[in-house]
Amino acid sequence: MKIPKKEEILKLQEKYKTDKKVAQAIGVPKYLVTYWRRKKKIEKFSLPKYSEEKIKDLWERFGNDKEAGAELSLSASAFYKWRKKYKIIEKPKVLKMAQLELSFAQSSKSGFLTIAQKILAKKLGKSKIEVGEIVEVEPDIVMSHDNTGLVIKQFNQIGISRVWNPGKIIIPLDHRVPAESEKTADIHRQIRLFVKEQKIKNFYDINEGICHQVMVEKAHILPGELALGTDSHTTSYGCIGAISTGIGATEMAGVWALGKIWLKVPESVKIVLKGKLPLGVYAKDVILFVIKNLTSEGASYKSVEFYGEAVSDMSISERFTLCNLSMEMGAKFAIVPFDKATKRFLKKRTKKNYLPVWADQNAVYNEEYEFDITKLTPQISCPHSVDNVKPVEEVKSVKIDQVVLGSCTNGRLDDLEIAARILKGKKVHPDIRMLVLPCSKEVYLEALKKGIIKVFVESDCVVLNPGCGPCLGAHEGILGAKEKCLATTNRNFKGRMGSSDSQIFLASPATAAASAIKGKITDPREFLRKIWKGKIV
Amino acid sequence: MILKGRVWKLKDNIDTDLIYPGKYLPIIDSKEMAKHALEGLDKNFPQKIQKGDIIVAGKNFGCGSSREQAATSLKHAGISCVVAKSFSRIFFRNAINQGLALVQSEKAYDLVEEGKEIIIDFEKGEIILNDKKIEFAHLPDFIKEILDSGGLIPYIKKKLEQK
Repeated sequence: MKIPKKEEILKLQEKYKTDKKVAQAIGVPKYLVTYWRRKKKIEKFSLPKYSEEKIKDLWERFGNDKEAGAELSLSASAFYKWRKKYKIIEKPKVLKMAQLELSFAQSSKSGFLTIAQKILAKKLGKSKIEVGEIVEVEPDIVMSHDNTGLVIKQFNQIGISRVWNPGKIIIPLDHRVPAESEKTADIHRQIRLFVKEQKIKNFYDINEGICHQVMVEKAHILPGELALGTDSHTTSYGCIGAISTGIGATEMAGVWALGKIWLKVPESVKIVLKGKLPLGVYAKDVILFVIKNLTSEGASYKSVEFYGEAVSDMSISERFTLCNLSMEMGAKFAIVPFDKATKRFLKKRTKKNYLPVWADQNAVYNEEYEFDITKLTPQISCPHSVDNVKPVEEVKSVKIDQVVLGSCTNGRLDDLEIAARILKGKKVHPDIRMLVLPCSKEVYLEALKKGIIKVFVESDCVVLNPGCGPCLGAHEGILGAKEKCLATTNRNFKGRMGSSDSQIFLASPATAAASAIKGKITDPREFLRKIWKGKIV
Repeated sequence: MILKGRVWKLKDNIDTDLIYPGKYLPIIDSKEMAKHALEGLDKNFPQKIQKGDIIVAGKNFGCGSSREQAATSLKHAGISCVVAKSFSRIFFRNAINQGLALVQSEKAYDLVEEGKEIIIDFEKGEIILNDKKIEFAHLPDFIKEILDSGGLIPYIKKKLEQK
């Protein structure tokens, strides 16, 4: 037999590692391979050694074996063995945040990825990922609301008795709470039985609030994670630097059964918002203006990332509004990158470790848009399409019948607060019905403490329980024929809030409050200037 | 698969509230859902649909809510396929998961006439009008498999049995 050349042995070693395996592969005894190797002065194959420092560093950065191991292409159990060897047992209290950014910048030198691409790549344990590639991933958390009834029906047809992971399933009831019909009451009952049977801990009954708000408030979703929800506005969780998107009930049943979903790696769009928000202009006005420019399908199938001074200045609540409404231009994901504000927000809400993800500096965006908002005026979306956006001035004096302040888009404390400032000491116009729905129990309690709810009641608003209700025409404020409504919600499709002969306008809470006082669509700045001058702030 | 059906032409941005109004969301029975298909657009639409009819629409079909009832109701009302210039993301997934065939075609809308019959050949990737043929791109194989199985639930069941 011919003795293989040095290069050939090296090649074999690269492929089969040990002498034993090389020998097996080419069908000779092991001692022969060892002999050849020594003769050609080739080092014995050995596993890469990891120093104590390296293992300790990774452990302190990630705090879990799976992710730390992935950095060295090791399985969770292999990483654990290394850790045990060096007696690194205690879980890190705080993850080394500063180092994280650095390590990411280095680890993705090859790929240059956007946030969505990087999170998906990380879930696959890969450093590269192609746009358009179809990947199968396990979500970090899944959410379904009242439509859980339909999910259960579909899940039961599959024939698997237990859900894949009851700890990863969140179910808040919010669309029709309390039950508006016998049918809904039956569905709610079925859901309650199911969560008990399946031991789903994170079930929120009718008292807690709107699903998306609950997900973020209770920190069920964390930066760098992937969430799926049976609601289109699931895109909202991008406000804390996560990727999240809506799916149907049947698809959720599949995820419950298998713990997996297929996703297409999306193209990314970068939206830069320059400047500072002027008086009377809010995140809602900004995102409506963006949607007007990009149109209702302008971000279809794409992942939107928000950058710029205006975004950095925004609170998590305002970022929520941006990510929530991005759905109305078709976005698959909408993300505001993790920063100090996100960190501050989460500090109060969770003790869990998390791993933020940022885009690479050279990440590739298929489109980039820049908007200077310094001179933006209050905006309003007119019937029957969300991208039909005009400056409020252009439609002012349109008479309206109902005002709705609330929803996952604009029902948080800052939304209620600005409306209350405008309404304080005044009355809602006698021809107007103004409905206020705090978007969660937490928001409701805070608003009570601050005296905001009192302002609403005194100015003749009807304060309703946290929930979605009128936004989707479920109950609590259905529109009749010929009626016009100004809402702080997210959709103005024909017939959405009731009669197909009614009309819906979408605007900010400030515009809503000002319009409620006047009985017609009103620019809130006239009220705000007075408040600012009179210092009733 | 070859489908043959009468065309209903619908405009751009047919949203989920037009296809399936929110007030019917508590319904979980597919046959009952079918009674309200496209009711937001025309109250009598469900009665007008004949089994096998094909919708040919403009861009962004199914935009809005994640409610899969939009796809379920169309399928059970008798619609065999939706052809559109483009689909909203969630509707696209929902339709596949319900086993409702989809074709994305920029050209079809301008060439087809309402009420006329068209043939869709999925093997060849062609829409056949009287004298014309419009080509369309094939869906990925695994999506075809979901559609051929009749939707996601039968597909998963089949996969589990194979295991």
